[in-house]
Amino acid sequence: MVTSIAQKEFVSIRRDRRFVVLGALVLALLLAATLVGRRAAAAAQQARAAAQHMVNEQFRHQPGRHPHRVAHYGSFAFRPVAGLGFLDAGLNAYTGTAVYLEAHQQNSVNFSPAQQAGALLRFGELTVAFVLQTLVPLLLIFLCFGAFTEEREAGTLPLLLSQGVTMRQLAWGKIVGYGRAAALVVGPALALAAWLLAAGAGAGAGPLALAGRLAMFALSYAVYFFVVIAGAVLVSAGQRHSRTALVLLLGAWMVGCLVLPKATANLGAALHPGPTKAQLDAAVHEQAQHGLNGHDPQDRRAAALKDSLLRRYGVATEKELPVSVAGLTMAAGEAYSSRVYQRHFAALTRTYERQNALSAWAGLLNPYQAIRPLSMGLAGSDFAHYVHFQQAAEAYRYQLVQRLNALQAGMGYGDKERRLGAATWRAIPPFAYQAPGLGWALGHLLGPALALLLWAGALGWLGLRRLDKMKM
Amino acid sequence: MSYILEAKDLRKEYPGKLALRGLNLQLAAGEVFCLLGQNGAGKSTTINLFLGFIAPTAGAAYIGGLEVAANALKTKQYLAYIPENVLLYPHLTGLENLALFSSLAGFRYRESELRAYLAQAGLPAEAVARRVGSYSKGMRQKVGIAIAVAKHAQVLLLDEPTSGLDPKAANEFSALLRQLSGQGTAVFMATHDIFRAKEVGTRVGIMRAGALVDVRPTAALNAQELEQLYLTHMHD
Repeated sequence: MVTSIAQKEFVSIRRDRRFVVLGALVLALLLAATLVGRRAAAAAQQARAAAQHMVNEQFRHQPGRHPHRVAHYGSFAFRPVAGLGFLDAGLNAYTGTAVYLEAHQQNSVNFSPAQQAGALLRFGELTVAFVLQTLVPLLLIFLCFGAFTEEREAGTLPLLLSQGVTMRQLAWGKIVGYGRAAALVVGPALALAAWLLAAGAGAGAGPLALAGRLAMFALSYAVYFFVVIAGAVLVSAGQRHSRTALVLLLGAWMVGCLVLPKATANLGAALHPGPTKAQLDAAVHEQAQHGLNGHDPQDRRAAALKDSLLRRYGVATEKELPVSVAGLTMAAGEAYSSRVYQRHFAALTRTYERQNALSAWAGLLNPYQAIRPLSMGLAGSDFAHYVHFQQAAEAYRYQLVQRLNALQAGMGYGDKERRLGAATWRAIPPFAYQAPGLGWALGHLLGPALALLLWAGALGWLGLRRLDKMKM
Repeated sequence: MSYILEAKDLRKEYPGKLALRGLNLQLAAGEVFCLLGQNGAGKSTTINLFLGFIAPTAGAAYIGGLEVAANALKTKQYLAYIPENVLLYPHLTGLENLALFSSLAGFRYRESELRAYLAQAGLPAEAVARRVGSYSKGMRQKVGIAIAVAKHAQVLLLDEPTSGLDPKAANEFSALLRQLSGQGTAVFMATHDIFRAKEVGTRVGIMRAGALVDVRPTAALNAQELEQLYLTHMHD
């Protein structure tokens, strides 16, 4: 019964020129966004990989130098483009692409596309996610608003119900039929994305991991479209006139896709204000002052460290020490400033997470705000992935600088006058970022996933059950 | 005697209006009952109560011995409904509409069988594969009949089925009703058409202001007597 109704809806839609034109337009947008997005992502990835290779080579080919000079020479860590970033750019336009790795300094990721692009980027990019989250629901609203009202207006509902069909069966049939039509529009774009991924493996993740992410991405949107379709069908079932149903649904679309996301983002920033970059840098600097300063021979704590070393090695002067006091002081200072930075970075991350959590909770009120973080997270372009990269870059920086400090410490007294050979730098492994896996991503997306499933459950189970009590 | 369609003290009230006042009626298999009455007399309300589309305020409607209000889905298996204006899906062909409605009733037919039902209902062969959007009212009505026949319903509920049909189509419709009643199908038809009621009905009832005021076997009356009886009741 449901299958018959679904088939009827699907055939009717396919034969409706209005939908064919609108559907073809949305499909063309999706295909264009997929191709353009993939091309842009591939170009960005190529540029970043080339830059990473260049800075790695520059680091490796440094001449014989003092290790601390090498630590200040530093290197760059370029953030690879997320495997599905071409489908959902998420925060990529606003988060940076590269971080400068140097001694004593924990730099943030800089050079975001938004910094380098014109003002047009502020209006948003045409990405697959934008079309899926915003335009496809609009298409579905135009498709579904008359699900029941048109049956009432055309007078076909009594004939249908007289055949022994329940309103709920009718609604399910329509949902399945509209769902098939939606798949006809969205499916080719996702198939193209899968083919593009298979043809040229994405950066930072293996093909299996990307396939898993793409499957979850498609599944999430399937649930989202179910929510939109079921919601629209239910609204239509509750109205007598198509015009009223359309106005209600368009109003819900505007509130859900335009008003609520901005309102909750502003509310989140107001409730949990974060420091500016200057404030954060100043706070880190101020607290780092309480640690060891390897560049200041008059530093009291450096002197204390020197005394303890003299005692430990049972010698009277620094000259007799087998290690470089400056190198060990640098290492201790780095450990301290790194702890300070980590504490501040964790606090800042918590603030942003609280802001994001408000938006995630809003997913319980608004399915758009559930699919958005889910989509970004699965694409690898959300805040959690950004933080993951930032932490990986900082971990590498710390390990690199401490390795150089250890080299300096091993040079013994008078290290400042000596150099280490060029081969030393070639032995240091370059920065290699491993993007987190699907399981890690899903762990960060439980809230929005649950919100979307609750929406689907509430509409599919409770909402459609109510139809049985509804009169013609 | 068991009746395929029955109303017992069936009553329907809307806020500020009594639409049906305690209807009592029985129909046996093969009987054609024509309900005459002006607009607003309660004819469509009666049909909607038998269809289970509205709930009675008091009393009960029965189809196949089952109370409609308590067995809304089950009783629909026994009946077929043809409204005044059969409205089908314009993007589907006559064949596709019939296949759809038959499958909803639990019948899946081969294309040849569907074509045979449409031919039996009098739909021209050239029209069956055309979209219903291009059909006349008479052609849609024929698809409606085919839907009812293909359902093998024991009861036909017809609400002004010949209204707006040309004489030829109306005659064909009457012939088909006679054929179905001859096969044992009970027909309950609300109509304004006294001539058609006399022609196909085994009994006629006259409804006025929600009450069934007269019931006569059609064999006992000629068309003029029936018309006179109707007019008398309408002017009381």
